[in-house]
Amino acid sequence: MNQFLSQPLSLVNGSVFILSGVILLGVVLGFVTYAIYFERKIIGWMQFRIGPNRTGPLGLLQTVADVLKLLLKEDIIPAAADKPLFILAPLIAFTPAFAVLAVIPFTESLHFADMGVGILYYIAISGITTLGVLTGAWSSNNKYSLMGGMRAAAQMISYEIPLIMSLVGVILMTGSLNLVDIVKKQQEMGVWFFIPQIIGFCIFIVASLAELSRTPFDLPESESELVAGYHTEYTGFRMAFFFLAEYVYMFGMACLTTLIFLGGWLPPIAFLGFIPGIVWFIIKFCGVIFFLIWLRATMPRIRADQLMQLGWKVLLPLALVNIFLTALIKALV
Amino acid sequence: MGALRTEEMILNLGPQHPSTHGVLRLVVTLDGETIKHIDPVIGYLHRGTEKIAEDLNYTQIIPYTDRMDYLSSMINNYNLVHAVETAMGLEIPERAEYLRIIVMELQRIASHLVWFGTYLLDLGAMSPFLYAFRDREHILRLFNELSGARLTYNYMRVGGLKWDVTPGWIERTAEFVSYFKKELEGYHQLVSGNRIFLNRVRDVGKITAEQAINYGMSGVILRSTGVKWDLRKDEPYSIYDRFEFDVPVSTDGDCLARYHLRMEEMKQSIRILEQALPQFPAEGEFWGKVPRVLKVPAGECYTRIEAPRGELGCYLYSEGKDKPYRLKFRRPSFVNLSILPELLIGDTVSNMIAVLGSIDIVLGEVDA
Amino acid sequence: MLGFAKGLSYTLKSMTKKKVTSRYPDEPVIMPDRFRGIQHFDPEKCIVCNQCARICPTQCINLVGKAPSDPAKKGKVIDTYDINFEICILCDLCTEVCPTEAIVMTNNFELATFSRDELFKDLKWLDANNTNVRKEQH
Repeated sequence: MNQFLSQPLSLVNGSVFILSGVILLGVVLGFVTYAIYFERKIIGWMQFRIGPNRTGPLGLLQTVADVLKLLLKEDIIPAAADKPLFILAPLIAFTPAFAVLAVIPFTESLHFADMGVGILYYIAISGITTLGVLTGAWSSNNKYSLMGGMRAAAQMISYEIPLIMSLVGVILMTGSLNLVDIVKKQQEMGVWFFIPQIIGFCIFIVASLAELSRTPFDLPESESELVAGYHTEYTGFRMAFFFLAEYVYMFGMACLTTLIFLGGWLPPIAFLGFIPGIVWFIIKFCGVIFFLIWLRATMPRIRADQLMQLGWKVLLPLALVNIFLTALIKALV
Repeated sequence: MGALRTEEMILNLGPQHPSTHGVLRLVVTLDGETIKHIDPVIGYLHRGTEKIAEDLNYTQIIPYTDRMDYLSSMINNYNLVHAVETAMGLEIPERAEYLRIIVMELQRIASHLVWFGTYLLDLGAMSPFLYAFRDREHILRLFNELSGARLTYNYMRVGGLKWDVTPGWIERTAEFVSYFKKELEGYHQLVSGNRIFLNRVRDVGKITAEQAINYGMSGVILRSTGVKWDLRKDEPYSIYDRFEFDVPVSTDGDCLARYHLRMEEMKQSIRILEQALPQFPAEGEFWGKVPRVLKVPAGECYTRIEAPRGELGCYLYSEGKDKPYRLKFRRPSFVNLSILPELLIGDTVSNMIAVLGSIDIVLGEVDA
Repeated sequence: MLGFAKGLSYTLKSMTKKKVTSRYPDEPVIMPDRFRGIQHFDPEKCIVCNQCARICPTQCINLVGKAPSDPAKKGKVIDTYDINFEICILCDLCTEVCPTEAIVMTNNFELATFSRDELFKDLKWLDANNTNVRKEQH
């Protein structure tokens, strides 16, 4: 990909770019479809039942049926809602989800943009989704939506800080924000970052769960709590956008975890290097997704005030300690 | 700059709930996140059982009692049947008594399993619900074989029981008992050590013993405040005095205490079953000698038993006919719900669901 | 922390165990013999004693008898027999009191229809409902 980017723009180049974008879009949408399917299946297996198995062979077309249902629903916009904002909110929520995928390197050569500030770009752009959530909550003209949306926004903002802080340790050790460099550094070190940066790894896992609004931090989605979420007034197609944003973020966050802490496309033992890197990437990625699903099946939900306490009083100091220790060890060694 | 003017908001936790308690409506007055006042509105499931009962003879009322606390039908059946038998002074054969105890303790386990599953579902964990229902399915299958239905058994009769056990039923129940003993450990492994769960239920909804007695609480709620009161031990009915079991009591008074007490109660029910099943008489009548037409002598009588939710009582006023003049059920969920307003004032909205779940109400019983 | 690990291992182990889903409606659910399903009525055996209608707690049974076609025979013969399944609670008291086992329960339970009119079952339907008849009759 780098060779294409360094050449001046021509017909061949342009069509490669567009085609590869479309392929990535297809891959991500396929991932979303089957992530939902596998989530339902795996949670079903953990609960002594089989998941969906009637639509299509083995139930593989279940998500397709669900999405089709959502698309065919009546598009309701509340009469007193702020119409332009109401329509704009899902777009603001979901466009950054796709935009961040540009910096993710799947293997050393298979990536889109080789930015020097890859991690920063990811974190910065993914913050725009919070704006989308707030816009949706506000424009719904529903006090419960607003309360739910504000809680969701507070959660997302509070946990972005420990998320980035936990990565600073890795950045210090690598010396660069570029994701390809980070994986190369792990190759050089011979050990993946989750071992030397174990504290950072734990903080990152917790913070990423909160960013994704996954259990145990799924307060915005929970309906057995009092307030319905920010997407109460959204139906059909627009709600599908919010859900799509969530799953594409899952894709992005799992990729990020794999790259930064689990060695990206590197094999665990150098001997197994003949297996292409993309296979290792996919295996680790699937492991992270399985872990997220596994947590959803097991954990109860954390309370709203305890969530904020956890983010500010526990994770942030720990992340600072992590940075301090990393810097200290780097200076001494 | 003066004090900030705040306005109270009235929130309606409508009769349609995501939490599976039934059709309870709570009108909550909030000031920010703090609850200022709660008004439970009940009656959405009122079916006029007590009034209908004035027109039916005692055997005909039994199917109606099934449907009051539909999660513990056997015990509701027993409540009515026990009142009539006490009023008439009937003697129940041994085998029927043993079978009644076995069936009631199994029912207690089934009812607590539903509570366990739904409580954790309210708190956000979706798996324990299915594990609880998988185990409850065994009990329901046993009951289906014994009485012909899975939820509304209509099994007890005045003077005994309707059917005898089928061949092999006692052995299968014993198998279930040993299987469930292990599963109960599994629940503790899954839930009891979980930090998130503990943070949500510890020190939430604390009740003092004085409050509990003043409000007429009974069952697990009373025992969680330190008052050791269990009708199976303190006013033994049927043949409970022949079995050895403990009554778990805690002094914490919070939701965690009630959780642990109910889990312990399931363990004690297993203990009773382990004693009752081997002692089950090999032969005997399952329905004693009762007159063709059941006439309760004129007068009134009140009997009470220990239901999974508390003290379930039956007040019977008879004029000597075969139909009661007035039949009143003292339903534990109805009385236990009355503490909710006092308990939750000053607490936050997020704790409301946890507290409501730990009081364990069934709307069929609240409304009758 | 340990609590989390124990819980996670429990769900992981459950993933590999046998599933308890039953394949209804592809596979029919076999109920035990004593199951109280929809009633079956045999008009030959009915002596029109009216006990079932009297004992029914919800009064959903309506029956009418007529004189037998053979004038030498005594007693009555059943003319119409209706059960209103909107209010029948399948409590089994009617079969308990029937002296001739004219009304018995079967193990069928699939009564759902699209229209309420179809829930009012008459003598012909109840007579025809003779599959899976319960063997144990008190």
